[in-house]
Amino acid sequence: MTISPLELLLLEMASGFYLGAFILYLSEILLSRPPRIPWAPVTAGVGGVLFQSLAIFIRFGFQGHVALLSLREVLSFFSWSLVLTFLYLEHQKKVRILGLFIFGIAFFSTLMVIGISFRAPVLSSGAPIGLLLSIHTLLIDLGLASAALAFMVSVLYLVLDHFLRRKIFNRFFARIPSLETLDQLNNNFSGIGFVFLTAGLFFAMIWSLEKFGRTLPLASQGRLAFIGAILVWLLYAMTVLVRRNRRFRGKQAAYLSISGFLVFAATMLVLAFFSKGSHFIL
Amino acid sequence: MIKITLAGVNHKTAPVEIRERIAYPKESLSSAVQALARQDSVLECLLLSTCNRVEILTITSNIHPSPDFFTDFLSKTHPALTSVPLRPHLYYKTDSEAVEHLFQVTASLDSMVVGEPQITGQVKESFEICRKENSVGPYLNQIFQRAVSSAKRVRSETAISHLPVSISYAACQLARKIFQDMSNKSVLLLGGGEMAQLTARHMKKMGVRSLTLMTRDPAKGEPLAAEYEATYAPMSRLDDILSEADMVVCSTGAETYLLTVPIMESAMERRGYRPLFLIDIAVPRNIDPEISRLSNTFLYNIDDLRSVVLSNQKEREMETFAAKEIVRQEVAQFEKWRAERSAVPLIQALRQHTEEIRLAELDRFSRTLDTLPDEARKQVLLLTQSLMNKMLHPTYQTLRNSSNIDEAWEWITRCYGLPPEILSRNGSHEDTSPKEREGKSVLDSPLSDLPLPGEQTC
Repeated sequence: MTISPLELLLLEMASGFYLGAFILYLSEILLSRPPRIPWAPVTAGVGGVLFQSLAIFIRFGFQGHVALLSLREVLSFFSWSLVLTFLYLEHQKKVRILGLFIFGIAFFSTLMVIGISFRAPVLSSGAPIGLLLSIHTLLIDLGLASAALAFMVSVLYLVLDHFLRRKIFNRFFARIPSLETLDQLNNNFSGIGFVFLTAGLFFAMIWSLEKFGRTLPLASQGRLAFIGAILVWLLYAMTVLVRRNRRFRGKQAAYLSISGFLVFAATMLVLAFFSKGSHFIL
Repeated sequence: MIKITLAGVNHKTAPVEIRERIAYPKESLSSAVQALARQDSVLECLLLSTCNRVEILTITSNIHPSPDFFTDFLSKTHPALTSVPLRPHLYYKTDSEAVEHLFQVTASLDSMVVGEPQITGQVKESFEICRKENSVGPYLNQIFQRAVSSAKRVRSETAISHLPVSISYAACQLARKIFQDMSNKSVLLLGGGEMAQLTARHMKKMGVRSLTLMTRDPAKGEPLAAEYEATYAPMSRLDDILSEADMVVCSTGAETYLLTVPIMESAMERRGYRPLFLIDIAVPRNIDPEISRLSNTFLYNIDDLRSVVLSNQKEREMETFAAKEIVRQEVAQFEKWRAERSAVPLIQALRQHTEEIRLAELDRFSRTLDTLPDEARKQVLLLTQSLMNKMLHPTYQTLRNSSNIDEAWEWITRCYGLPPEILSRNGSHEDTSPKEREGKSVLDSPLSDLPLPGEQTC
């Protein structure tokens, strides 16, 4: 099963728009002055997300289900949800600087999606894809996108904190939103990510129970996924709980979100490379 | 031909001793404008007077007023200045240079603090006064509109006004980098120094929720607190208020640190480690610099704020290059408008002259033409008119785009042999004087509305 020419064209168009948005956001920072056409990068982003939405729609229609079973599907949905969240965020909070990172990631993700040779999704059981599994994959990918956003705002928080303490006032400093805004966003994205992750794991356990009669997988590859998921979940639970302790505000919370995303992303990559088709495939 | 002349004295050319004597108080500005407008050659005039500059812009016909004209005027309207030689302090600019200077002044590129916003308002005020005194005509009106438009462009297309260059304002801007919403923030002012008062004023403008003033002497502090709508608190309540405040501005005359690490550690714990912005503008310092090591506390002293201001000033200077380019574009637009406008009387003179020739020629052939049937005669008349218009149209276009109307005037006079009386009938220059204009002059109409023959048929 290969990628259809129409889907490929739509993805290429989307990546072109994302690149355009990335360049426009970058020029805003480099040129230091207020942008002449402030809506141009957002418009490019909207164009990209429309093309990618169509591509995802075609992919789901082509497969006959909405599960994300290959790395290219995970990446495509991941970048799409990132851009969509950013567009909402930009509308609400005007965190323009985030656009630079989001569209950079979206561009490279769609490039990778185009580059990765497509193979048919294979499940070790060979069973048809059910609704529970589809929901599990979608929720986990949304959780990863939320974690990535928390990671990005946390990095910005640490950069701004560093600039404020070292008295560095450059163009980048001028573009970063306030520490309070970034801390609030980090809090929100970590919380949302935790909810998605918990719900995603919950659906995976129900699916496992329905399929194999037990909630914990027996096979070694399944165990690997399970251990990774539990690790990520624990770290995220810690982030959310620890934030309730007033000492872990701002900087500490930013460090937690950064490590949370890194473990999350590492788990996904380990699953992709080492689970040998038992989970999702390359 | 209309001449634009500007002369003035500003902070770059004259010391404050001269500037303070040359500035026109608000109440005497109108009479000064009236006096200037009464001068024989002046068609339109603008008088701008601020603490840093006095500038006079005149619109005259054919000749630029000399620098002495301006020094005489300034001396006459300021009797105390008669003994001071003004000429060495006076700058004198003509035509596009004068316009460019006024545009730069309006866009705050010539200000003592580049990018400060007040000057645009001051130019607007001066223009309003001149308009009321009937010293503004179409030229000044156009210059003013374009000056304001270039100032707007400079503010929106460059970062010149985005970077604070005063210490108190820089402190407020830094606060915005820490806090998202100032309306739920409280500020503690420790001491009532001048800088703290300025900062308090800015904070009020930013809409902070509450201001608390703390001084050692209640007799000094309470009236000051009332002035800034702040709450007065005695020093004994420092610990309590520190746990609630989001920003602390210190400017007391204390010789020792008022805020030390142990005090702040305990305050941070009580305030739940919410971020705290500390500004120490006192010399000697009132806040232990070691506090900056504490998590979620951001400490800035007077030198740090000065470095913010210096860095912003440098950035603003960098931005002036882009800003001056915007001003040049606007000046070019104005010059284009001016050239088009200056060409109108010449085009009218040329049109009248050629029309007289056409009518004379038709008269010469009237006997032959009378033999023609009515319809054919009408066609011949139309033909001559159309021929004239088509042949002259490129000339009209060239005149409108001409950058040197004096040269064009001379060239047209020679080429077409325009008699002097036709020139005087149409005016060798445009009379823009608001004093003499009655009703709507042809010059008040946009050029496109003028009934130029070439445009009817070509």
